[in-house]
Amino acid sequence: MSDLSVNEAVVMRNVCKDFKVLNRHEGLKGSIRDLFSRDYNTVSAVKDVTLTVHKGEIIGYLGPNGAGKSTTIKMMTGVLEPTSGEILVNGKVPYKNRTENCENIGVVFGQRSQLWWSLPLIESFKLLRDLYMVPQKDYEAMIELYRSLVDIDPILHKPVRQMSLGQRTLSDILAAFLHNPPIVFLDEPTIGLDVSMKAKIRELILGLNKEKNTTVILTTHDMGDVDALCKRIVIIDKGTKIYDNDIEHLKNYFGSYRTLKLKLADDTWEEYLIDEKTTDVMDVIMEKQKEKKIKDVKILEISTEEVIKKIYEGSAK
Amino acid sequence: MRKRGLKFYAGMYRKILVQDLKSKMSYRADFIISTFGMIMTNLSGFVTFMILFHNFPEINGWDYHHMLFLYGFSLVALTPVQCFFDNNWNLRFMVQSGDFIKYCFRPVNVFFYFISEVFDVKGLGQLAFGIGTIVYAWIKIGIPVTPLVILKLLVFLLTASLFMIALMNFAAATCFWIKGSGYVMVIMFRFKDFAKYPSSIFEGIFKIIFTFIIPIAFIAYYPSLVILTPDNVPLLSWISPLYGLVFVYLSYKFWMLGVRKYDFTGS
Repeated sequence: MSDLSVNEAVVMRNVCKDFKVLNRHEGLKGSIRDLFSRDYNTVSAVKDVTLTVHKGEIIGYLGPNGAGKSTTIKMMTGVLEPTSGEILVNGKVPYKNRTENCENIGVVFGQRSQLWWSLPLIESFKLLRDLYMVPQKDYEAMIELYRSLVDIDPILHKPVRQMSLGQRTLSDILAAFLHNPPIVFLDEPTIGLDVSMKAKIRELILGLNKEKNTTVILTTHDMGDVDALCKRIVIIDKGTKIYDNDIEHLKNYFGSYRTLKLKLADDTWEEYLIDEKTTDVMDVIMEKQKEKKIKDVKILEISTEEVIKKIYEGSAK
Repeated sequence: MRKRGLKFYAGMYRKILVQDLKSKMSYRADFIISTFGMIMTNLSGFVTFMILFHNFPEINGWDYHHMLFLYGFSLVALTPVQCFFDNNWNLRFMVQSGDFIKYCFRPVNVFFYFISEVFDVKGLGQLAFGIGTIVYAWIKIGIPVTPLVILKLLVFLLTASLFMIALMNFAAATCFWIKGSGYVMVIMFRFKDFAKYPSSIFEGIFKIIFTFIIPIAFIAYYPSLVILTPDNVPLLSWISPLYGLVFVYLSYKFWMLGVRKYDFTGS
């Protein structure tokens, strides 16, 4: 790899990851056969992905379920070894130096708390401080920074198991930044949270990114997260990178799309995807109203899934 | 990279342990119930032993007090696996649910980080019970109390404890490959019950299995011979510390191999 790539947060070059999956047979006889079977199928979770993430960037890493997002993240964090291709994270190969790589990354994985379940948050923080060998001065400065960004005092002495989902997610994010890693991976950090908590968490992520120039790699299904945080998004589907550009670029293509939902007399919803550039939403409503009785109307922004679908169908070319 | 040596890990373990104990104490009812349960478990085990000996005053040339010594020895030797390695029982759930991945994100040894998470206080009762039994049997048999014998006792207790740790590591790590690893663990854990009896009661193939493949005989029998029959110690007893270390090392390697081979599928 060129010398330049050492200065990037993450560089992936032609990365592939295959999994071997046993072909399972049905029934008891099948199970016994499976015991000795060498009949494997190779499933490609990630196919030839090339990607560069610059320092200090917040990128949205999107894709439908099973697209290969988690597999990519697991490779970047050094948990999985790529089948082929090269990955550099902070200039090093993550799989070969797992512990060293872990010092330089922070990870929040879905709704799985990584904190000590029964300990008050502050004790978890102290253990993490020692685990990452963070100097006391830096640790205190970080806690002060947290205090200036969010109201941490109410949760600091609360055991993690007694926390609400929102408080727990907040705690996990704070814990991931505690050793001031150059890169933080956030996997669906706002899943299941209420609107105000979502806003709080987005603000926190932005604040930390600004203060510490931390690179953030965010996977999410929430377009709100993407809008609030990311300037650039990467979309992956069926293991292949299908989009890698500014969010503005994406909006130029799809910002004019609206999902129109109409509730009919029999309480069923009908859905239409409308491009406002070519069709006026009000026209459609009036048109439909002539045909049938409409009880309720909803106009939604195009969903992530639909954007991805659109892109996958090749509309973004 | 800053180096994390033995001192770091020892210090880290102590800190996690202190925090864990503090939080355990705060659940008083839980603490009291588990203490009660632990006493009952030990008592019932002891009663079974007494009934057995009431009917067979001698097993293969071993009299009551020698058997009692062996019994106490096995209790003490099984304490470390109970206290320090109890999280192995949770491994298969973590692996199946995918939660296990969180142990791979810290800049420390995965096995250490996983095992350090749980300290089981219940093992301490077993320890007290075991020590009491050893002391009682010791006095009744009339083994001389010299610093050398005490040292031997400690070394060989520690040796004995290695085998169950290794066995449970092996059993737990099977979950990285197979789904029904719970059965493997339960079977292994049941095997420990054989440790209370002199291995000389096993013949032929069982003797070989319990000595070399599933070395139950080392959990109490061979190491305790060093104290019980100082004039006639088999070679296997003397090499047991080395064998124990090798066995633990292999089990650790097997465990870590499982982590590496595991696909972490599902998110």
